[in-house]
Amino acid sequence: MKRLLSVALGVLTAIGGFVDIGDLVTNAEVGSRFGLSLAWVTVIGVVGICVFSEMSGRIAAVSGRATFDLVRERLGPGMGMVNLLGSMAVTLLTFVAEIGGVSLAFQLITGVDYLLLFPVVGVLVWVILWRAKFSHIENVFGMLGLGLLVFVVALFHLGPDWSQLGHSALSFHPTRDESWATWAYYGVALFGAAMTPYEVFFFSSGGVEEKWGPKDVSVMRTNVFLGFPLGGLLSVAIAACAYLVYYPLQASVDTLGQVGLPIALALGKIGLAIALLGFVAATFGAACETGLSTGYSIAQYFGWQWGKFVRTDVAARFHLVILLATVLAMGVLATQVDPVMVTEASVVFSAVALPLTYFPILVVANDPDYMGERVNGRVTNALGTVFLIVVTVAAVAALPLMVWTRMGA
Amino acid sequence: MSLENRFDQEYDAVLHLLDRQVLDKDGLFVCKVDDLELTETEHGLTATALLAGSPALLPRVSGPAGRVAQEFWGKMGDEQADRRLPYRIDFALVEELTSAVTLTVTRHKVLVRAPDPEERDDEEPVRRRLGTLLRFPVLDASGRTEGKVLDVRLDEEHRLTSLRIGKGSIASNLGYDRNEKQGPALVRAFVRWLHRHQQEVAIQDATIDWEDRVVRIRGDRTRTQSTPA
Repeated sequence: MKRLLSVALGVLTAIGGFVDIGDLVTNAEVGSRFGLSLAWVTVIGVVGICVFSEMSGRIAAVSGRATFDLVRERLGPGMGMVNLLGSMAVTLLTFVAEIGGVSLAFQLITGVDYLLLFPVVGVLVWVILWRAKFSHIENVFGMLGLGLLVFVVALFHLGPDWSQLGHSALSFHPTRDESWATWAYYGVALFGAAMTPYEVFFFSSGGVEEKWGPKDVSVMRTNVFLGFPLGGLLSVAIAACAYLVYYPLQASVDTLGQVGLPIALALGKIGLAIALLGFVAATFGAACETGLSTGYSIAQYFGWQWGKFVRTDVAARFHLVILLATVLAMGVLATQVDPVMVTEASVVFSAVALPLTYFPILVVANDPDYMGERVNGRVTNALGTVFLIVVTVAAVAALPLMVWTRMGA
Repeated sequence: MSLENRFDQEYDAVLHLLDRQVLDKDGLFVCKVDDLELTETEHGLTATALLAGSPALLPRVSGPAGRVAQEFWGKMGDEQADRRLPYRIDFALVEELTSAVTLTVTRHKVLVRAPDPEERDDEEPVRRRLGTLLRFPVLDASGRTEGKVLDVRLDEEHRLTSLRIGKGSIASNLGYDRNEKQGPALVRAFVRWLHRHQQEVAIQDATIDWEDRVVRIRGDRTRTQSTPA
């Protein structure tokens, strides 16, 4: 019974934890402009993050090594450092976006300008990362993030023409007068939102934090294979809601408030309140995960003690990195840069940085020196190879598309 | 942990040991294996200690970035006599090598600076670094370049037995050149093609010239080509 409960907790955490500011903004934007014609990208992204997370989780469980241990061991100190810099730049960008997202969500609740709120949010994130227990951070925000399930409820309440939704989901081309390049650009952005690198840094380091062993692999798989696809379903529901409300009006989504508006239309104040709680939880949880990920990755590269499973003074340098990252993120927000724009950039750069860590993980998941008999099977390797090609294509295409379409304008 | 101890058999220093995490006996993290100390003994070159810290790591970063970082590291603490000396963990303190290196002691005070090579007296054995050897070009008997040292093989006593020599160092540390079964097939085929000219040369057939910074290999040796895919 207790085991079942812990599995259920893990799955629910994975659903709530899957969605962050990148998924919220990108899905609503895409839904309002392209309907469900890019829903297939979310499906591919979900399968991809399942493959990636399962491999890195299995490596963590069997060998006790997290992502940046492996990056440096396989690529050496030089390439490893280039990799670390690239991955950390993207993770910091995501960290800025998440803290900004929490502030925007609080602005929607309190009416206070987010520029007054982000310093409070930043300090709060740091205090939580310093003091709170690892499992509490993961589970509390993951569970509260389930508030976003109101998007699924709202979708039913909006009473859509299901055949029209289905038709949109199966029309693999741009809508109205949108160009193919813009459509492809948002496809890459959606892919980056579903497969964000920090998710894997956090997931594998979290496995070490929670002292997974080979016997925990089956529970880990259940969490990944149930939780992430259900999280993906949530993403599609967000896109569908935006499609139903904004597409007929030819309006596009530019703020977090507009992401939540379909809920208010469908379910009124109570629904909106739950959605806002979901926004806060999802972005707050993701802010904690990205903040931790900067500390994890840098400490793993240099071999410093890291983790919340030891006292803070034992892992002093790890906590110092997190503190500096939080200060840096608050500094970026202080420039009054629009957090929604930072989010849009962060999901695209996520797609660019993805192969940097995907490739070493794929290699080590096949290495019997680390994995013993638990190396990748045929199916995992077939999927792993397909996704190696997919993430490479997305990474190469991302920046040219970004320039060409002027960030999807 | 169910993984077997690598030190019970011969192993490849770069593939299996370099850049691995070092854990103390309680499982706390100590450092990375930033470099390996090689000592000239009567049995030839033998790995005697793990080296750690920026003075061990930065010289391994090739190109101008590595040089600049190394210079900067020194200047940041110009007054410190031991600034440029790496930390040293003797192999006597090492318990086993699996996916990480485990020590026999706790991490308390375990990192001690390596002795300064400039103060070495003639009685003491000469200590080298694996990272230095990995940058040397390899020349054959006629002076033609054969590539670089990509890895070295050590036996159970940590004695250097052979050199792995190849043209490029890209993707040389993924394991595909030494394990013909490691998947996925597409990556394996590509990496093995990339490293099709690799050869393993026994240490008896090679002379390491630390002054001229080259490795010379004998022309009449029998080549042990890596097995084709």
